[in-house]
Amino acid sequence: MADQGGSNHGIARTSRTRTEEQRQKDLERIKDYRALEDQVRHHAAKNDYSPDVFALTSKLLRLNPEYYTVWNVRRRCLISGLLSKPSPGSSPSKALPTSSPTATTTTSSADFSSSLSTETPPALESQTTGKSGTTAEDEDEEQKQQTRQQDQQNDQQILEKELHFTIPLLLESPKCYWIWSYRLWILKQVIERLPVPVARNIWEEELGLTSKMLLRDQRNFHAWGYRRHVVEQLESPELEGKSLVESEFEFTTKKISQNLSNFSAWHSRSKLIPRLLDERNANDEARKAFFEEELNKIGEAINVGPDDQSLWYYHQFLMLNLVNSAENPIIAPAFTQEERVAYLRREIESIQELLEDYDDAKLIYEALFDYTLYLCQLQERKPNEQEEKDLKGWLGNLKKLDPMRSGRWADLERDFGLKE
Amino acid sequence: MAMGSIGDTLWDVVICGTGLQQSLLALSLSRSGKNILHIDPNDYYGGAEAAFSLQEAESWVDRLATEDKGLFRSASITKPDVVGLSFPRAYSLALAPQLIHARSELLSQLVSSRAYRQVEFLAVGSFYIFKAPIGPEQQPSLVRIPSTREDVFSTTAISAKAKRGLMKFLRFVLDYDSPEQRDAWKPFADKPLMDFLQEHFKMDTELKTYIITLTLSLDGRINTKDGLFIVHRHLTSMGHFGPGFAALYPKWGGTSEIAQVACRAGAVGGAIYMLGAGIKSMDTATDEIELELTSGDKVKTKLLVRGDESVGDEPSISRLVAVVDSPLKTLFESTVDGAPTPCVAVVALPPGSLTTSGEANTDPVYVFAHSSGTGECANGQSVLYLSTMATSNSKDILSRSLESLLFAVDRDRVPQCLYQLHYEQAAGVKQSRLDGLILDLPGPSLSLLLDDASLNHVREAWKKVVGDAVDDAEYMVFTDREPVDDDDYE
Repeated sequence: MADQGGSNHGIARTSRTRTEEQRQKDLERIKDYRALEDQVRHHAAKNDYSPDVFALTSKLLRLNPEYYTVWNVRRRCLISGLLSKPSPGSSPSKALPTSSPTATTTTSSADFSSSLSTETPPALESQTTGKSGTTAEDEDEEQKQQTRQQDQQNDQQILEKELHFTIPLLLESPKCYWIWSYRLWILKQVIERLPVPVARNIWEEELGLTSKMLLRDQRNFHAWGYRRHVVEQLESPELEGKSLVESEFEFTTKKISQNLSNFSAWHSRSKLIPRLLDERNANDEARKAFFEEELNKIGEAINVGPDDQSLWYYHQFLMLNLVNSAENPIIAPAFTQEERVAYLRREIESIQELLEDYDDAKLIYEALFDYTLYLCQLQERKPNEQEEKDLKGWLGNLKKLDPMRSGRWADLERDFGLKE
Repeated sequence: MAMGSIGDTLWDVVICGTGLQQSLLALSLSRSGKNILHIDPNDYYGGAEAAFSLQEAESWVDRLATEDKGLFRSASITKPDVVGLSFPRAYSLALAPQLIHARSELLSQLVSSRAYRQVEFLAVGSFYIFKAPIGPEQQPSLVRIPSTREDVFSTTAISAKAKRGLMKFLRFVLDYDSPEQRDAWKPFADKPLMDFLQEHFKMDTELKTYIITLTLSLDGRINTKDGLFIVHRHLTSMGHFGPGFAALYPKWGGTSEIAQVACRAGAVGGAIYMLGAGIKSMDTATDEIELELTSGDKVKTKLLVRGDESVGDEPSISRLVAVVDSPLKTLFESTVDGAPTPCVAVVALPPGSLTTSGEANTDPVYVFAHSSGTGECANGQSVLYLSTMATSNSKDILSRSLESLLFAVDRDRVPQCLYQLHYEQAAGVKQSRLDGLILDLPGPSLSLLLDDASLNHVREAWKKVVGDAVDDAEYMVFTDREPVDDDDYE
């Protein structure tokens, strides 16, 4: 019921007027910002990605999370030294130790430039110059294990800190692409560098985060797309996953009950249905029951929200299942022709009932028009006399209610020979 | 203000009484630099909107027994022979429990005056209708009133056709102030809203009850103009301060807490406070009044502001305050993800719904259920405030309503009543009255919803004190005394 103007979904945008004092303050802030920015660019130009620069990017990104170049600088800081190094030729999780003891923030840039060199790390030397025989190799293997574990722990800390860093930025700018993409990159590192149980845990928390973001703004499409990606990863073999389709379907049900106008939730729902039914091994009877339940649900929704486009889209999605299912069976492929006709007729009738109370809802007339034609299409015939009369009538209502689209109505009139 | 006898100053205003209106006046004047003396004959703040510990309630009842005039009467306390009542100060029973819509003018003023920071606001949750058992085998039940589109979608209690009717009405109300809609309801403006709903929307009894309940109209006959205003405010308040609720309730005693916070602000602004001091006698001259206080002090003031304590024309109400030994969890469930847990729930027993032994109620009975989250009772308990029009059998109606409600909430382990306070309150005078240098603010409101109209009288009193030199736009608009980090108040 709240005003939903603009892409901010009813969350008010505040406009501010400035006093002279505020203007001076702003000038100061701009000066500081530019200085910060110059510093970061200066270091990046010299390929200096030391921890100091890392700290500078933190400051700058807090002021301006949209500055994607600076996110890249930050990534480089991580790869260049804050995160553990994979050894050349071996998989990242089995990385050999670096020449500096621990890659934490206190080391100076000198150490990093040396670690980038091609100097042979001492560990490798001891392998070849130590005593021959299994003992030295065992010791070595143990040391490798230890350092690998240490690396993973260190990486985990760093990566978790990075995720934490982006949270306040996300809360303030929930639709900033760069923040989302940085989180994704970090999470990718999580899969590559950390043991599966740890990685899985972090990704599950990520799913929790998208739920929270979608609570704050249920129609944040970034969050929905992001959620789908997170779910995909959680289901993937890399994270030893299994299907989340039931809980995701339940999630759309919850979101819809909180806000019927949630286009993204209905859309997600429609995308989940094929896999949902397959995984349930739904037989024809189960599919029919499911179809009817969805029809009831959307019917209840349209009953209270006849002006809502997202609801009509979903209803149409269900109707197309009846009409097109030969080509694209989604829900219930085994309906007989009679059943399809019966469902369509029933829907057309109950939608007509809505006109008793909502005679100015243009989307109702559109639906009646479309579905009557679907019916004819299904039965491979032209509209009969009564249907033609109805179609003309509904078109007349549409012309009155939506004069801006007169061109469209005129086209329909012509295409279906409905000119008065 | 230098320390000295209060008789030495020529006060700009003496405010008598610390009820909500007088306290808001003190708040509005807290930055004016005026010399303000704020007294109250009671030894507690809040006046007719006070919140009592059990001890204070007892004293109050005793005192009323000796007085035979005034707005409150027929007060009595019953303590059933049931174990569980905690120590007296564990309770803070509100004399005038009122809901405050999120979009009410009061909240805007509390925000602009910065006083809101001192108050902890709790969410008011669901509104229920009590449904009497239909047959001998049936159980009484509580049905939630749907007030958002999603509520209407989810409820199984109404037919599809009725839902459409309700949606049409909700859409109408949201737009009721537009010229189109005005034409429809203007002819009914002073007639009961019930009639308008019947005539214009052909609403059935059930839906009419839902709508009237949202107005909390004590006689059920609120007129169309006022009724539409309240429903509109309820609907637009929904979600205004957070998901899932349309009204707020201040912790620690409701309106009394606001009165106390307002007085505190007055004191910080330099006003002198004296509890237990009333006006014994007064002597009026052309530009000042001399008051003799019950404390013995004699003070001179340019203006005296009091609350009118005379009985008005409108009907009285009968009220029952009951402490029960259950948290009544089912009443306080949050229905929306991310919504705060409500601490107040509303239950209405429509006329005729009380079918237990005795007469049915001819007026609605409203129940405000408060969880211990309000700070008004001990943990594990709840306070129920029942209100109805005062009639010859209203006390009995309230008792039986309490019983029926408790049975409907939990028939397996019916909550026991630990304490009951009953009283009647007469309607006060509705208008302000200025007689020379004495301004009497209207009497306390009997409304269950905090009424914005009452705020106008405070504003007028403020204007009287500050005079024409001050811009009206400055009313209740203050800056923080110290820099405050708003994050502290999340």
